[in-house]
Amino acid sequence: MTANLGFGLGLRPDHYEALLADRPALGFLEALTENYLIPGGKPLHYLDRIRALYPVVLHGVSLSIGATAPLNHDYLKALKALIARIEPEWISDHLCWTGVSGVNLHDLMPMPYTEEALAHLVPRIREVQEVLGRRILLENVSSYVGYTASEMTEWEFLTALSARADCLLLLDVNNVYVNSVNHKFDPDVFIRGVPAERVAQIHLAGHEVQDTFIIDTHDAPIADPVWALYRRTCARLGKVSTMIERDANIPALGELLAELDVVRHMAKIEAAA
Amino acid sequence: MRLADLQQQFQQRVLVRQGLIEPELRGSAAPDFDARLGAYVEGYRSRLIEALGATYPALKATLGEAQFGQSMRDYIESTPSRHYSVRYYGALINEQMAAAGDDRARMLADLARWEWLLAAVFDAPDDESLSVEALADVPPDAWASVTFQFRACVRQIDLNSNAVDYWRASKDLCEVPAGVEAAPTSHWLLWRRGVATLFRSVDPVEAIALEAARAGKSFGALCETLAVCVEETQVAMRAASLLRGWLTEELIAAYTLPDAR
Repeated sequence: MTANLGFGLGLRPDHYEALLADRPALGFLEALTENYLIPGGKPLHYLDRIRALYPVVLHGVSLSIGATAPLNHDYLKALKALIARIEPEWISDHLCWTGVSGVNLHDLMPMPYTEEALAHLVPRIREVQEVLGRRILLENVSSYVGYTASEMTEWEFLTALSARADCLLLLDVNNVYVNSVNHKFDPDVFIRGVPAERVAQIHLAGHEVQDTFIIDTHDAPIADPVWALYRRTCARLGKVSTMIERDANIPALGELLAELDVVRHMAKIEAAA
Repeated sequence: MRLADLQQQFQQRVLVRQGLIEPELRGSAAPDFDARLGAYVEGYRSRLIEALGATYPALKATLGEAQFGQSMRDYIESTPSRHYSVRYYGALINEQMAAAGDDRARMLADLARWEWLLAAVFDAPDDESLSVEALADVPPDAWASVTFQFRACVRQIDLNSNAVDYWRASKDLCEVPAGVEAAPTSHWLLWRRGVATLFRSVDPVEAIALEAARAGKSFGALCETLAVCVEETQVAMRAASLLRGWLTEELIAAYTLPDAR
């Protein structure tokens, strides 16, 4: 099992200098893998310096583990080199596909929850874990459409997948809530349905409510229903490394640290209960 | 439908808005279905426009939000991303900008080339620079044959417009130019010192010498190149002066003696 790193934030360039100058008490920082799959320069310079101060985990968006295209071994090679350089506590990506036929849509396209998809995913996850020499975490993604072909629920799919591939899960509580609204299910059933022993990290983030569905935007503070679901998630899962993702409308570091204090407080209350 | 076909069809719908994906998706008869599908179809374009805006901030500032957005949309429709990192999307924006063929189009194309090159310098490999003192080890009789390896961040570009003025203006380093100017070719050198990206204009003689040296020509051949455009008595001094400048500016990573090749 992975270590409990406590409470962290997504590493964003806007906060490089503030992190280095103020050195706030953070359990870890999550770096977006692709931002650092570059030859050199400022981003890697800052990542090295921040890694010297904090545990770092890597979070990717382009593994495309669910695509029916071949695994991108150039990507895996670059990722492996970054892992050797940064020595992250763990690495994660998304349970999705990002493109086929050589195209990258740069989006987290949903998978159908079918036996065919499981049969496709399991050997690919095992291969990636073999290449990287470690278990990976896969994150549940938000989705706006569902497939008619799906044969099971998302949490049943995650449970079967993680058991068969022996991978870990990154549980995005915001995405659970978003999908519960978009696809009309009880988010607590999802939370109760995932295998607690495989959840190694939790994401929290903001979203954008449309007329009839929700878009996962990561551009706002955590919404009230997600806070509530997070508390119930803590009650179910206990202590799990948890962080806030913010990718747009990025506020000053202090504002995110204050939001993270609320996360800490809620987790503490649930732990005491 | 098989998983592979499903993904092909969904992708086709996102890329070119074609392909009947509805039967494969739940709720396709619902009133909000188009908006939900649009989160993928429009989201794809929005994300790439945002990424291109990060790579081409001065082009965006010069064109304005609306025109930049439309121009990038045109590019996106014809050019899907094929790299795992969105950082490498947009290499051919300069061609898109040049399409109109007039002076303004040429300036915008120059500006795009300039910004793409700045991005390449920004995250070029980290390598050490050679000190001036290190050349003291070169035996006098080997000087004609010595060659230089430039640092990976070093780039040259020739421009035929006042695109750099527009770039400077977008950074509030100068006033916005009064207008587009077709200009005689200007030569530019870009590189990085530490994590700071630097650039300066170079005169035509230095541009030729730099190009020759970067191409691996020996110091002797570099002098021969300079002899075409510099008085014969000045060649050695000019070559030595250029070399010292390049070393001081941290452009050179290493030198090679003929025996070491």
